Amino acid sequence: MFPQFLEKTEITFFPFITNKKDLIKSDIALVEGCVSEESQIETLKNIRKNSTKLCALGTCAAFGGILGLSKKKRSDPISKFVEVDFVIPGCPPPINLLGNALMDLAENKSIKLPEKNMCYSCPLKGDMKANLNTLISRLLPSNSELNSDDDKQVCFLKRGILCLGPITREGCDHQCIKQGIPCEGCLGPPSKDFTSNLINFLSLVSLSNQLKRYDGIFNRFSKPILKRR
Amino acid sequence: MIEICRRIEGQGQINYFIQNDKIHHVEFEFSAVRGFENILIGKKLVDIPRIVSRICGLCHASQSIASCKAIEDLYGVIPNFQSIIIRKVLMTAELIKSHIIHFFFQSFPDLLELFSITTNPVDTSNLIRFDPQLTSSIYDLIKTGTEISNLFGGRIIHLITPTPGGMLYKPSKKNLIVVKRYLQKAFINIDYILHKFVDLFSEKQPPEDFDLPVLNMLGTLNNGHYDRYDGNLHIIQSDGNEIKFDILNYENYFSKEVSLFGIKFLINSPKPILTGPIARYTLSRNNGNSIYNSLLKYFDMRWKKNILFVHFLQLLEIFYEIKSAIDMLEHHNLENQESLPTLNKILKRDGFGSVEAPRGTLVHHYHLNESNIIDSVKLFIPTEINFPLLNESIKNYAQKLYEKEDITSLNRKVQCMVRAFDPCIACATH
Repeated sequence: MFPQFLEKTEITFFPFITNKKDLIKSDIALVEGCVSEESQIETLKNIRKNSTKLCALGTCAAFGGILGLSKKKRSDPISKFVEVDFVIPGCPPPINLLGNALMDLAENKSIKLPEKNMCYSCPLKGDMKANLNTLISRLLPSNSELNSDDDKQVCFLKRGILCLGPITREGCDHQCIKQGIPCEGCLGPPSKDFTSNLINFLSLVSLSNQLKRYDGIFNRFSKPILKRR
Repeated sequence: MIEICRRIEGQGQINYFIQNDKIHHVEFEFSAVRGFENILIGKKLVDIPRIVSRICGLCHASQSIASCKAIEDLYGVIPNFQSIIIRKVLMTAELIKSHIIHFFFQSFPDLLELFSITTNPVDTSNLIRFDPQLTSSIYDLIKTGTEISNLFGGRIIHLITPTPGGMLYKPSKKNLIVVKRYLQKAFINIDYILHKFVDLFSEKQPPEDFDLPVLNMLGTLNNGHYDRYDGNLHIIQSDGNEIKFDILNYENYFSKEVSLFGIKFLINSPKPILTGPIARYTLSRNNGNSIYNSLLKYFDMRWKKNILFVHFLQLLEIFYEIKSAIDMLEHHNLENQESLPTLNKILKRDGFGSVEAPRGTLVHHYHLNESNIIDSVKLFIPTEINFPLLNESIKNYAQKLYEKEDITSLNRKVQCMVRAFDPCIACATH
């Protein structure tokens, strides 16, 4: 995908592989990473000013990302400071989703993300009768469950394992689920913000006290946004 | 004077402290540590490899595999041999991508300039036109790394399949064939790039300013052989004396303050320390084993004591690892995999895991409290190990250049030196 994208575009600024020092007017800006320091806001605004379309690339730029787990650092999504035209979510963005989105951008089309949630086409969908009374007490299946092919055919939520599929956008081809582990939600929600979806979902299911106290779920890819710009 | 450094992993700047028309001090600086060591406190053990992978998009496999090894150490389990082979192939996929991106996009323009092969500074667009076959070989290798990560790891980066106890993935016959084909093609590509490197540079003399000082080196060897997954840590000191130790005893040799930048070495030598391809090469040669092939004979001693030799060694590592990966996949049956061991009982309070990441020795150390909750994490990052040497080298170089060159040319050359150290700022700011 990379060579084809390069053929259709000209890189104006990409510190990772180019020497160019100054931002110049560009058609597309792809911004990776969250805002964790004050100095980054100015850079971000400068990028916005110089680009026709701005795209948040990856879950850190889109929602704040993994630094949400930090109690000390801020991890703001870039949309808190500038207007974002498109989002390519995922940690990492799934290869097909990313490839198609980049080619769409290069051809001056808009990016279309899947609108359904992960469960919609989940290979473990089965009869789809979710029983909200099942106690969800585990984050991941045990190794003996992972060894059993039968266990792998049953929806995680029915097995008491927390899966964020119901509140996560599809588009990754169910990569984690196919390997036997539940969705950790890295693609973000199909609509509305990350945290309100999570709050609603976690209040619906019967979460064990231990998982309720576990601080690896709630802010994993996004901190609650208290105040908008 | 502050100059932003381009073409490196992450965002860093070079600070020059100039007074009375003399450079007093030079420092490579990047943003503050993000605090992953604190983030991991209290996290569930099985969750940790998935979080630490997110430290870096280039060194993700090394981070998550070192983490799995540290957790396996706590439970006293060892993955089955098939899992170890898949992990090694995934580490090779990571190494191919990491080394080749650094070699071509970040350092190759410097080499063309330093060896006067081109007269004008090389930007990305004339870089990719320099030799179309070289460029397409490079693209193919990046694709190889990406595709193998995707097939065996479940994703292009931040792999899903490494898990404490082994691997979630059992390769199908078809995937094994596909991966072998990618590797066979990659082998032809890296062979071309290696020969190209020899043709372009071997008869030229590397600039003396890039000679390495007398130093200590840190790396991993398995019974004296090159192995980035398993083995003992080795330190070869500036006086030639070699120390070999198990990862469990690392605290006798180096230490750090949690959440602060910098690693302290407790060895009896004031010289700086280097880890990465040059250290791996020096250590395996010192032990009478070299992975390295016949092309080495084209480079004389002047090359071998020069930091720019790292680029040739990066290519050689790719060559060697592709060959071993093909070998492993051909000689082992990976289809009938043994079960993952159960993680029932934690046996120790301290878990240690280390691998040789592309940039050098990476160590994870987790400590559990009496309720088996993680209460302290120490991550030792290769770029942190190389940092004092990098700073000393760029200071000496800048001071020398300041007397004879203008500031633009000085800054351009000092950046070349920073890039030769291949710093990974994402990992360093863990």
